[in-house]
Amino acid sequence: MKQTPEEKKIQERLQPGVITLDGFLGKDKRHYHEIITEDLEKLKKLNITREEIADRLQYFTDLALMNNDEEEIIDYIYRVRYITERGKIVSPFMDKGLIAKGQITLENITNGFKICWTPLNISMIRNHGFFEGKGASHRLEPETLIKAIF
Amino acid sequence: MIVVIINNVIILAGIGGFLALLLVLADFFLANYGDCQIDINDKRQFTVKGGNSLLNSLAENDVFIPSACGGRGTCGLCKVTVKEGGGPLLPTEKPYLDAEEIEKGVRLSCQVKVKKDIFITIPEALFSIRKFKGIVDNIIDYTYDTKGIIITLQDPAKIDFQAGQYIQLQSRKYPRSKQIVSRAYSMANSPDRNNIIELIIRKVPDGIMTTFTHEYMKEGDQILLTGPYGEFFIRDTEADMIFVAGGSGMAPFKGILEDLSAKDTKRHIVYFFGARTEKDLFLVNEMKEYEKKMKDFTFIPVLSQPDEDTDWDGPTGYIPPLLDKYVRDPKNTEGYLCGSPALIASTEKKMKELGIDKIYYDSFG
Repeated sequence: MKQTPEEKKIQERLQPGVITLDGFLGKDKRHYHEIITEDLEKLKKLNITREEIADRLQYFTDLALMNNDEEEIIDYIYRVRYITERGKIVSPFMDKGLIAKGQITLENITNGFKICWTPLNISMIRNHGFFEGKGASHRLEPETLIKAIF
Repeated sequence: MIVVIINNVIILAGIGGFLALLLVLADFFLANYGDCQIDINDKRQFTVKGGNSLLNSLAENDVFIPSACGGRGTCGLCKVTVKEGGGPLLPTEKPYLDAEEIEKGVRLSCQVKVKKDIFITIPEALFSIRKFKGIVDNIIDYTYDTKGIIITLQDPAKIDFQAGQYIQLQSRKYPRSKQIVSRAYSMANSPDRNNIIELIIRKVPDGIMTTFTHEYMKEGDQILLTGPYGEFFIRDTEADMIFVAGGSGMAPFKGILEDLSAKDTKRHIVYFFGARTEKDLFLVNEMKEYEKKMKDFTFIPVLSQPDEDTDWDGPTGYIPPLLDKYVRDPKNTEGYLCGSPALIASTEKKMKELGIDKIYYDSFG
């Protein structure tokens, strides 16, 4: 597969031990372009955009941030906890600026679906449609994600 | 037929080899920029060999520009203003610069290659930043996920800093990471003990640096760091002070209290330290000692989720609601915060509601 130097750099930055210890691809051997293409196809079938998903994740993230790293119930349905960490992280896609560290967990009380994401996930979904590779520690399966947050 | 094929292969290989040699020679002669001068703030000049990044050329001459990514153009922190000689702005820099910065000539020093004489401006404070070699003297387990690390400085053997400032610690390559990364950590000792650096580091899941410090760093290891950095230090006033910290945010306050205690301060200080359960608390006895030593200092550990079978009789819940009864005069109170972004966000909001407008914290946290 032909890659621009920038794409090659991004693929390297997604590997384990470069930006995070476990990387962003998990056991997925595909190029990140293929992962994105497949996931965006899924979104099309599910009739939702990556921006809508990113906005929703950001909504929970912002509300949970003010709860001092403790669990809270949002909108009577979602049990959310944002454990924030000191420090910031760069995006493997070389987007502008630094992104907050930390991890948000959400359980949809009505259907039992649970997901977990980072502020970096939101950025990668919004700007690139990247939900991480299969088996990655913060991979968000679009179908599960939608069932959990909408 | 076979002879012809072999001949053609040899000719092609020869041409390829010749072109490769030509490229190497061209790179050597054409990309040889010779000696270039770097002028900083019209005050300091030095000569460097052209061809390196501005960030590295400055570091080789003991001028350390803060960077979180080690010069890979990903953190956007190593900004300097280039007045002349920086060459055109690169696409790799643009995402990190706004229109005003571009207009002023701000550049990412890791992306600017020194090819000719270059004139730059940087904040004066950066001149005091040095690179240090040290030895890991002692590693202390404060809690299940938090360690204290004491580094004895070797070269230079002393560091001048203000209590509360931070250093950038450099990792080494280790089996799970081939990258050398630098991360910011507040110093937990006072400037009186300037031959050592004490750090408090909490393990972050999936963190390259904290996995290094918690699983691979050993006593006796040599370590590299730069510093001091930051503006998180006590303002020289007589105002009341409220400290709020959580987790490894204890570090700067430990250094600050050591310093204030040595100076026999008479300032009114209340220090809230937030933890989830009792097993997340540490250095409590040391803080209680400061209550005895200092004239007007109160330490208040607060547990947000104490275990059900605990005999904990201190305050529980979140810190912000507790602030009301400890603020005597908001206009004469300074807030100093260090901890998770959630703690800082909620505490800053509460302090502002109470009318405190002098609130300090390091942006790296």
